[in-house]
Amino acid sequence: MSTNNTPTDDVPEHLAKAPVRKSRNRIRMENLVWQIAIGVAFLAFWEYASERWISALLVSKPSRIAGTMWEWTVDGTYVKNIWITLKATAMGFAGGAIGGMILGYITATWRRVGEVLEPYVTALYTLPRLALAPLFLMWFGLGMEFRVMFAATIVFFLVYYNTYFGVREVSNELLAAVRIMGANRAQLAIRVVIPSALVWVAAGLKISVPYALVGVVVAEMLASDEGVGFLLAKSASQFSTYGTFAAIAALLVMALVTDWILEFFTRRALRWKTVGTSSQQQHG
Amino acid sequence: MLLEIKAVHFGYKQEAPILQGFDMNVARGEFLALLGPSGCGKSTLLNLAAGLLLPLDGSVKFNGGYLHGINNNVGYMTQGDTLLPWNTVAKNILLPLELRGTPAQERSDKLERALKLVNLGEARDKFPSELSGGMKRRALLARSLIYDPPMLLMDEPFAALDAQLRETMHKELLSTVNRLNESVLFVTHDIAESILLADRVLVLGGRPLRILEETMIPWGKERNLDEIRKSAEYATLETHVRGLLRQADAEQYGDREVN
Repeated sequence: MSTNNTPTDDVPEHLAKAPVRKSRNRIRMENLVWQIAIGVAFLAFWEYASERWISALLVSKPSRIAGTMWEWTVDGTYVKNIWITLKATAMGFAGGAIGGMILGYITATWRRVGEVLEPYVTALYTLPRLALAPLFLMWFGLGMEFRVMFAATIVFFLVYYNTYFGVREVSNELLAAVRIMGANRAQLAIRVVIPSALVWVAAGLKISVPYALVGVVVAEMLASDEGVGFLLAKSASQFSTYGTFAAIAALLVMALVTDWILEFFTRRALRWKTVGTSSQQQHG
Repeated sequence: MLLEIKAVHFGYKQEAPILQGFDMNVARGEFLALLGPSGCGKSTLLNLAAGLLLPLDGSVKFNGGYLHGINNNVGYMTQGDTLLPWNTVAKNILLPLELRGTPAQERSDKLERALKLVNLGEARDKFPSELSGGMKRRALLARSLIYDPPMLLMDEPFAALDAQLRETMHKELLSTVNRLNESVLFVTHDIAESILLADRVLVLGGRPLRILEETMIPWGKERNLDEIRKSAEYATLETHVRGLLRQADAEQYGDREVN
């Protein structure tokens, strides 16, 4: 009689359409598909627009660039220059980071040293690093040393400030507690201060790697006869847009790969920070 | 006497002295609460006992010897979360023993005992970020007790907890402390907390700091906090101490109106 009111007919249909939350992996796959689609669409547009709407002399063509990239891959131009740039980046990064960490730790631990050195550090930090290039060129010549030093001065300050604030941030309450537990100065540094500062230091290291690459490439463009920066500057000076783009492509890949590697290491080193707070995101 | 603070002077440059010839004792096994308005200098007393601060004049004697630096024979627990976030609960509790170079076998025995004492066995491999507020407090308590100090220094250790959890922690603290026959120097501005936990309460106020009143708490060591809260005696004590604290507040803030 009252068939209109019985909801039983609707239930199966309703259940079949019950919304299910997309899994994290599914979303990740979809994102990847979108990312690839955007890239391909952009390249296709570029290929089509070049010469039709914009002069190929200015923007070249993806097919032409790919040809150059293939050529450079085969004849070893890429391997040689990328290797040189990476080596300089790694050395500049390591030198600057180690120096920054040591001075940062010292000035933060011995307050007086920090107070005395403060104006000098600030002055050097504010100085445009490019202004040092001519001086460095005179000192170190055109070789590897120039590029390494140039990158190191950039990395140094980034790591220095992060280390300094990281060490200063350690709570006095925590230090007092650990001292009462029986820690001497060295134990306090190793067990408490350095690990506490590590979050900041890691952040400083992570942001400074791309800067090290920038430093090296700029130095290579300024004065050098090797490296990806040189490749870039040389192609541009010959008005070879495809060569310039091929060099930029190499830089893009290098930047992406270093970022992935860094992400992997910092995530491992700071695992304790993410566990508990965002474990669902990471594992599910 | 386990802790003897005698004729101690303390203060900072260009400020009114905090302590001027201050005397205070804590007996072995005694639970002494220091009650006073915030900023009155009760934490200064606690830090003198910890050796974190040194008196400008007078002496601090602990366990028969004069203190000249950090006091490693006390447990120290404050309001903040001072667990090392990158270590598990077990590693955190073991820290004092590792710093002291205790042999491995003794270390693991003591760890088991400490975990049992505060009921944290299940959480031993968790990181502090995975713990609730109460579990963190328990871990901190275990860490400050694992090296068997004869005295616990506590500076508002439960101030950041909600009322219900604080009551639970009060009971756990009392049973733990009684089992170990610990002395406790407990700094608080919570009247109820001082009356419920302590054997003796010093109501402090003024600058330089003085003892406004010494109140003996009659409940004895084996006390039932729920029963005490309901008793008339508790209400009388509470009202009395509240009056004293209001007076201390008035002194602290001078002419300004309090409440």
